[in-house]
Amino acid sequence: MAARTLTGTGATPRSGLGTVVWYDPEITLPDADEAVDENAERDRFADAVETARAELETERDATAERVGEDEAAIFDAHIQFLEDPTIESAVEESIGDGRPAANAVDDAFGEHIEQFEGMEGRMAERADDLRDVRDRLLRLLTGGERVNLADLPEGSVVLAERLTPSDTAQLDPETVAGFATVTGGRTSHAAIFARSLALPAVVGLGEELNDIENGTEVVVDGEAGQLLVEPDDDERAAAQAEEGADVIEAAVETSDGREIEVAANVGRPAELEPAAARGADGVGLYRTEFLFLDRQSPPDEDEQYEAIRDALDTFPEGRVVVRTLDIGGDKQIPYLDLPEEENPFLGERGIRRSLDPDAELFRTQLRALLRAGADGAGELNVMFPLVATVEELEESIAAVDDAAADLDDRGIDYERPSLGVMVETPSAVFMADEFAKRVEFLSIGTNDLTQYVMAADRENERVGHLHDPTHPGVVRAIGRTVEQAHANDAWVGMCGEMAGNPDVTDLLLGLGLDELSMSAVTVPDVKVAVSETEYSATRERADSARRVATRSEVHETIQ
Amino acid sequence: MSVERTVEIVPEAGLHARPAALFVETVTDHEADVEAGPPDGDLVPAQSMIAVTSLGVGQGDELRLVADGPDAESVLDELERILTTPEDELEA
Repeated sequence: MAARTLTGTGATPRSGLGTVVWYDPEITLPDADEAVDENAERDRFADAVETARAELETERDATAERVGEDEAAIFDAHIQFLEDPTIESAVEESIGDGRPAANAVDDAFGEHIEQFEGMEGRMAERADDLRDVRDRLLRLLTGGERVNLADLPEGSVVLAERLTPSDTAQLDPETVAGFATVTGGRTSHAAIFARSLALPAVVGLGEELNDIENGTEVVVDGEAGQLLVEPDDDERAAAQAEEGADVIEAAVETSDGREIEVAANVGRPAELEPAAARGADGVGLYRTEFLFLDRQSPPDEDEQYEAIRDALDTFPEGRVVVRTLDIGGDKQIPYLDLPEEENPFLGERGIRRSLDPDAELFRTQLRALLRAGADGAGELNVMFPLVATVEELEESIAAVDDAAADLDDRGIDYERPSLGVMVETPSAVFMADEFAKRVEFLSIGTNDLTQYVMAADRENERVGHLHDPTHPGVVRAIGRTVEQAHANDAWVGMCGEMAGNPDVTDLLLGLGLDELSMSAVTVPDVKVAVSETEYSATRERADSARRVATRSEVHETIQ
Repeated sequence: MSVERTVEIVPEAGLHARPAALFVETVTDHEADVEAGPPDGDLVPAQSMIAVTSLGVGQGDELRLVADGPDAESVLDELERILTTPEDELEA
């Protein structure tokens, strides 16, 4: 048994063993009774404010560049809190009474933090802002230094009060064994980031976490949502075993020999290596819009070319399916000036934008893709999002022709990729045969397909029970799509959340899917599920699942 | 001579985050003493971020501004612009 077990919320169903490195250690205030040199303390306070301001400005600019102006605004607010004259005069006065600068700062902020804590809603968030500013000053005044997250020793487990977007972006999944935070929930930024990197993480462990000291050996158990302090040999072995045992690097086939491609969904270059390390055969969905987020202008052709070539080089033997720009809906990009729409999910999103307002961006992207296809090691496939009509598909194919003509004019080497259509709309399900005649593959995006088939908003919890791809309506839509695609010599993949659920692998194989693509973290589990499935036996169960009337009957056929 | 005006808040965030930061920064950059508060309530010093945010002013609320000093008029013009511009159109 571990010396101690803390419980929070697991962010990633993985375990990691490592040594604690505190990111923002608790601050120890100096002894307030000791005599201090007033002038020296005043100078120290002034220096700390100046340094804090410089730090905030640097972080502000970095965040504006990387994430966006909206996210950077918080640093502007912090600068104003830092330089608030009320704080300044309270600190000066307190130092005049013989208090050390750090204690004076702690007192001055404490009063206002308490005041804001007692308020509701947005006002209570101001208490967090003041705490952040206070801690920044105290760290400077007490000589505490933050560790450099980008340069941690191998096997580090990062502990922190919380991790911000700019913090998490620095973590290197190659060296960090996991992280654990005092605050945060499953949907906090840090948790989402951890999942995309398959990094073991537990969030929301509470104040108790502060008791764990630097250098302590811990297991981050993301499955159970626990932090095991000083694990015993069995716990240590279990965590280490889990770190590698599951990964199947080779391509997998069912027990009766049908090969199924198990690929990863990625959105950023940093997610490529973790996907390969978890045994993904390739990329089944490269969300290119992520290359457009976190910045103030679109990436140019060369930058996109390099990102995609990296992906192809990461999977030299595999296939990389790139989805062209899919914005609109819930994905907003400030510099593209998207219109306000009553129903953005039914509005100008996906290919609809690429064919009209973003036609130039689309053509630039296609040129980058065609060039990458020629130079990268793996096999490039390109698919179009939210296609509803054959006309849209034909226009998209024409745009590929135009991009190729541009490159011919420039005398640049390129290769035409295999093309595909994402099946996300009911129209695409009904038109699957016509699409399949015109492209090499279809890929079913179950998150949107479920939303549109069931007319249930993905984000609306009140209709959450409808947003389930095992409703017979969705199962039949998937079955029909695969059938029509195969009848017209196209292969079919799936790249929604459903593909990563090993409980439905049997059903999906029975429905005839050729490829499954998912978050990197679930690749090992699905590979195991595929290799344990007997394909010929799944066909009959899947046929039943397509004939039954209710969701519970679908679940019965899956059992 | 002090000048004053009452402005209805347009930014969705109210007087928080970026609008509040810009508001306080603008006051600090002008030669004028500015106070702010509800139309019928106590005023607080507008160069204090803590005081300004603790007013809890939200979108659609009215804010009374009183300025005194050489820049009184120009600071009020600038503050009115900040308070009546939707956040996403606000230039830093």
